[in-house]
Amino acid sequence: MSDGFPTLRLPLDPADVRALRAGDMVLLEGEIVITAGLPTHHRLVECMDGKRALPRDLAGGSLFHLGSYSRETPDGGFEVLYMNPTTSTRFNPLMPRLIRHFGLRAVGGKGGLDRASAEAMREVGCVYLSFVGGGCPLLSDAIREVVAVHWNDLVSHYRLVTLRVEALGPVTVGIDAHGNSLYDSLSQEAEARLPDIMEQLAAARDAAPR
Amino acid sequence: MPITYAMMKEATAKLYEWSLRKVPDDTLDALRRARETETHEGAKRTLHILLQSAIAAETRDRLVCSDSGVPTYVIAIGTGVRLEGDIKRAVADGFEELVATTNPPLLKHVTNPLTNERGYRGKDMPLITWDVIDGAEHVEITCQPKALGSGRWAALEIFTFPTLEQIERYVMECVLKAGSQHCPPVMIGVGIGGSFDHCAKLAARATLRPYGTVNPEPILAAMEERLLKAVNATGFGPMGTGGDTTALGVHVEYSAGHGFTPVAVAFNCWINRRTRARLYEDGRIERIE
Repeated sequence: MSDGFPTLRLPLDPADVRALRAGDMVLLEGEIVITAGLPTHHRLVECMDGKRALPRDLAGGSLFHLGSYSRETPDGGFEVLYMNPTTSTRFNPLMPRLIRHFGLRAVGGKGGLDRASAEAMREVGCVYLSFVGGGCPLLSDAIREVVAVHWNDLVSHYRLVTLRVEALGPVTVGIDAHGNSLYDSLSQEAEARLPDIMEQLAAARDAAPR
Repeated sequence: MPITYAMMKEATAKLYEWSLRKVPDDTLDALRRARETETHEGAKRTLHILLQSAIAAETRDRLVCSDSGVPTYVIAIGTGVRLEGDIKRAVADGFEELVATTNPPLLKHVTNPLTNERGYRGKDMPLITWDVIDGAEHVEITCQPKALGSGRWAALEIFTFPTLEQIERYVMECVLKAGSQHCPPVMIGVGIGGSFDHCAKLAARATLRPYGTVNPEPILAAMEERLLKAVNATGFGPMGTGGDTTALGVHVEYSAGHGFTPVAVAFNCWINRRTRARLYEDGRIERIE
């Protein structure tokens, strides 16, 4: 898996973040915080508003939309059996505030985030990293240590889980810290291509059996 | 000997468990072909990673995706078989037992849509489509776990006497709306005609046909071919980060209807989870996919 891809060490150095460009593929090493839950995001907003205590400092950190199965071990700790990305756009309305408030250096999951998030990312120096969906065996192999599991009153994939990982990825930079978003540009290109695509469909229809 | 409650329970539970670990062979072949023809360097690498993940899951008995979705079944009963016991309850009981025993445990994905609470149980779960096969002496069960990642992009619109151009334009609109979101390269199922509910089933049924097979209806065979080219001309690519491979197949099913013609479009993620088995009166459970 790790053949030839550069490794980014977490927490990310601001200069390293700015050096990344949309489309780059990298591996991650260090501490990450993950969750796949909308209720979790609502709680983070409550923390920002001073209505709830933040269980773990996220300043300058990485928050990824990855769901995981965690369970308690006999010694009172936690183990994480597997993890995998979830759709990030579900969290669009909340991400710009979270990115700005915590000065997140990296967010990620799959499917990208919207323009408002990309703008927040450009301001604070943050990248969006795309994990492969259905990459469970490979991504889970990168877990070296379960650092902490918070909010375990929630279902497993909604918990706030802190992991130490090694050679996690490769992940693709979907949105860089300069406002470039593969998701926006690919959507715009597809829209621009649509008239040509419809013409090609018409030509193929004319040539097809009826 | 009839086909029993116990056989149905065992078969449906096993089909679900298998579908979470084994990427169908036709998907693997389609991914390998795409990896060869893909011209975008990053997309080629992404396709390679997807294949590596599929192989790792199969050889090491691991889940391919953490989202095991909710189990959906198509159960077709041959008219030549006898049944014994509560066949419908067997499917629900099998799911419940599997959830309690499978290792690693599954995440709680069954969602009450009125409260958004998630658990292992829920009304009408698993979701079953019942069918009948005239003259057959077996029961055929297909399992397709379904999750939000690709499931939320399905759409249906009702037209009146649409042209093929209108139908194809609608498919492309759905493709552009889903964009990078549904874990491409996807399987796209299109249903045309019938009634509102029937058309949605047609789109789901269309996704069951393996990659590489040709639609027996010439008009649809040609439509599938040109729509696949059209979808892959959009450029969203594997995992939606750019490339030539946005879909591995577009499959279309149709039914006659009245002049109001529903068109349904469904997406399955790159894995295109699907397992199938036949149950015989002699007690055999034959795994087909």
